[in-house]
Amino acid sequence: MKCLGAGLTEALIVRGLNKTFAKPAVSDLDLTVHAGELYALLGPNGAGKTTTLRMVAGLTQPDSGEVSIFGVDARKDPAGAKALLAWAPDEAMIYDKLTPLEYLEFVAGLWNIEPGAAKTKAEELLAALGLTDEARRRCEGFSRGMKQKVALAGALIHDPKLLILDEPLTGLDAAAARLVKDMLQARVDAGGTVILTTHILEVAERMADRIGIIAGGRLLAEGTLDELRGKVGEAGGKTLEDVFLQLTAEAVA
Amino acid sequence: MSLPFKPASTPWLLAHELRLSWRGFKAGRKGRGPGAFIAFGVLGAMILVGGVFLGLGVRDVDVPLVPLAVAIADLALAVILTLMLSTTLAGAADALYERNDLDLLFSSPLAPRKVLFARALGMAINAGLWFMVPAVLLLTPSIVLGHWAWSGVFVVLAAAALGASGLGLLLAMALFALIGPRRTRTVAQVLAALIGAAFFLASQFRNLMGEKASESLFARIALDARDGRLTLPPFADWPLRAALGQPVPLLVVVVIGAGIFLVAAQVLGRRFAEAAAATQGAETRKAARGPTRAFAAGAFRATVRKELRLVSRDAALLSQVLLRVLYMLPLAFLLARNAAHMPAWALAGPAAAVTFLAGQVAGSLIWITVSAEDTPDLLAISPTPMSVLRQAKLTAALIPVAALLAIPIAVLAWFAPLAALWTAIGAGLTAWSAGLIGVWRQKPGKRADFRRRRAGSFLAALAELLIAFLIGGATALAVAGWYVWALPPLIVAGAVMMALRRTDEQIAAALRAASV
Repeated sequence: MKCLGAGLTEALIVRGLNKTFAKPAVSDLDLTVHAGELYALLGPNGAGKTTTLRMVAGLTQPDSGEVSIFGVDARKDPAGAKALLAWAPDEAMIYDKLTPLEYLEFVAGLWNIEPGAAKTKAEELLAALGLTDEARRRCEGFSRGMKQKVALAGALIHDPKLLILDEPLTGLDAAAARLVKDMLQARVDAGGTVILTTHILEVAERMADRIGIIAGGRLLAEGTLDELRGKVGEAGGKTLEDVFLQLTAEAVA
Repeated sequence: MSLPFKPASTPWLLAHELRLSWRGFKAGRKGRGPGAFIAFGVLGAMILVGGVFLGLGVRDVDVPLVPLAVAIADLALAVILTLMLSTTLAGAADALYERNDLDLLFSSPLAPRKVLFARALGMAINAGLWFMVPAVLLLTPSIVLGHWAWSGVFVVLAAAALGASGLGLLLAMALFALIGPRRTRTVAQVLAALIGAAFFLASQFRNLMGEKASESLFARIALDARDGRLTLPPFADWPLRAALGQPVPLLVVVVIGAGIFLVAAQVLGRRFAEAAAATQGAETRKAARGPTRAFAAGAFRATVRKELRLVSRDAALLSQVLLRVLYMLPLAFLLARNAAHMPAWALAGPAAAVTFLAGQVAGSLIWITVSAEDTPDLLAISPTPMSVLRQAKLTAALIPVAALLAIPIAVLAWFAPLAALWTAIGAGLTAWSAGLIGVWRQKPGKRADFRRRRAGSFLAALAELLIAFLIGGATALAVAGWYVWALPPLIVAGAVMMALRRTDEQIAAALRAASV
């Protein structure tokens, strides 16, 4: 089911998205992510990043607004939209009593992947993430970083067209963080689309094709780093951190 | 709220333990509404009214120190002790592995002995209160009306709780030393279930051995007492004498109970701290060997497989199910044995019991497979419809129940096919109704929270119990051949189910409300 007149070059189109809990969490948010780009959504704590991404993933019902994933209306055809995306939050969604292989078998089943292909893909992913030796050990003894890697493998097992990651580098050591960043970059290079939130601005600065800055549930600015620099008045010279702090400070003021 | 004791003192630590226990108890009932507390209040009032009648009835009566009274007192104390020990053993194992505050306490300047003393005393109070509260309600009227010495019962219960706490700790630490940190938790949970069912199994020993049909340990004791053949070992009357307030037996009971507690708390202090530290990462298992299995095809099969794996790896759930299976197996055995040489009506009771317990086992499994989900978001973002996942979870819960029932029903079918058919239908109906209630009244949460909460919805548990009773009764009547009389309980059960029914929209709304 197509909507919003979207072409297939737009991975995600969000229009007029609103969500209020005790107070407004997301207000009239518009967002567009192009296919094949890595989009970083930045914002201070409580800015509405996670709520926005949860609404995109179909985990939280918006009060109003539209979400289209590769042209599929996520509210009218949730199953169709979900088939195209994967969501990995900062707390790994895994079962402590299952092994990584058993977990990947379950996730592949949820997305109805052919069992033979799923097993091969699972073994490849675990090898790429350095988890081959742990593949048949229960996750209960794993470090936070290892659990994050298992969850990432789960997000990739069905080869999603749109990968949404909330703070994907939380709890990872330097080597694991590099591994994950390389995997995400390789995914984008191969034509995949990635949306991530992070508090590590250096990651967004180095990896993101475009950056969105959100505060108080509103999108303050969006664009490439140079475009964002331009928006705060000084072209070049400023780091993303400077731009981010200036924009969010203006929003608070 | 600050605690009214000197910080770091033993009373302060104990008050901290009790505050956490009380909040855990209240949290376990959160969301059940006032129903659970009203039910507790009504039950307490009923016991109190019973106590008043008892007090008036026995106003001028003294308990005779005859063999039957002594045997009853001894058996009651043994049952209470085993149940308390079951609670404290599970509590001691949990205390070793639940890391919420142990690391904090043992990294503080407090002596480990003091920490363990307060925790063990908290366990004793928790285990003792379940018996002390009803005892106080039941016996206070009699005590007020003249039997003041009966307050010895409270002292005996307190001593039993202390002793059980000490024994629970000793047993947990012995397991730790014998089988290591990785297996202790599971074995302790299973052992706690076995101890909890010990008296029932012992009472059924003669039945199982086939010495004389339908004669339990208790029936044997009653018959022997009536015929004057009951002889008891020396000092067997001391628990009764202690409960009746005789000073020397009472002192001995207190010394034994408190002595076990003090020895355990004093001796194990440092070792407990070391054992608790050793549990860190102890649940890491070796990687499985051999070829990997082929992946399951499709969401339904993958979910069934995943749920069966999780059930088989959940020690707390297994011990809960094991307890019910332990109650069911002797009855199933009795059912099959009687079928060989007894008329149909003699099979009615065991058939009803098997039906009832099948529903209870199914209820435990369904409650946790349907409601306990560690990754609800993963299921929610998948394109698989929730109805498919729900059916898979129900199937996974019912597979072990079917496997458990298969053997006794097959044996029964050999001797009494019709009774087997009715028992299978009854057990299937109770399991199915437990499944529907589990789906309609699900309360989402994580598995670890369910272990702490121990129980589900109060209303759901009550309804499950009532329906299992009704279908069990209908099964008994059908097995006895009184088919028409089997209909009314089935109709009532159906009406209760209709009253509990929720549509998919209502379930979704309840889940949304619970997640806010």
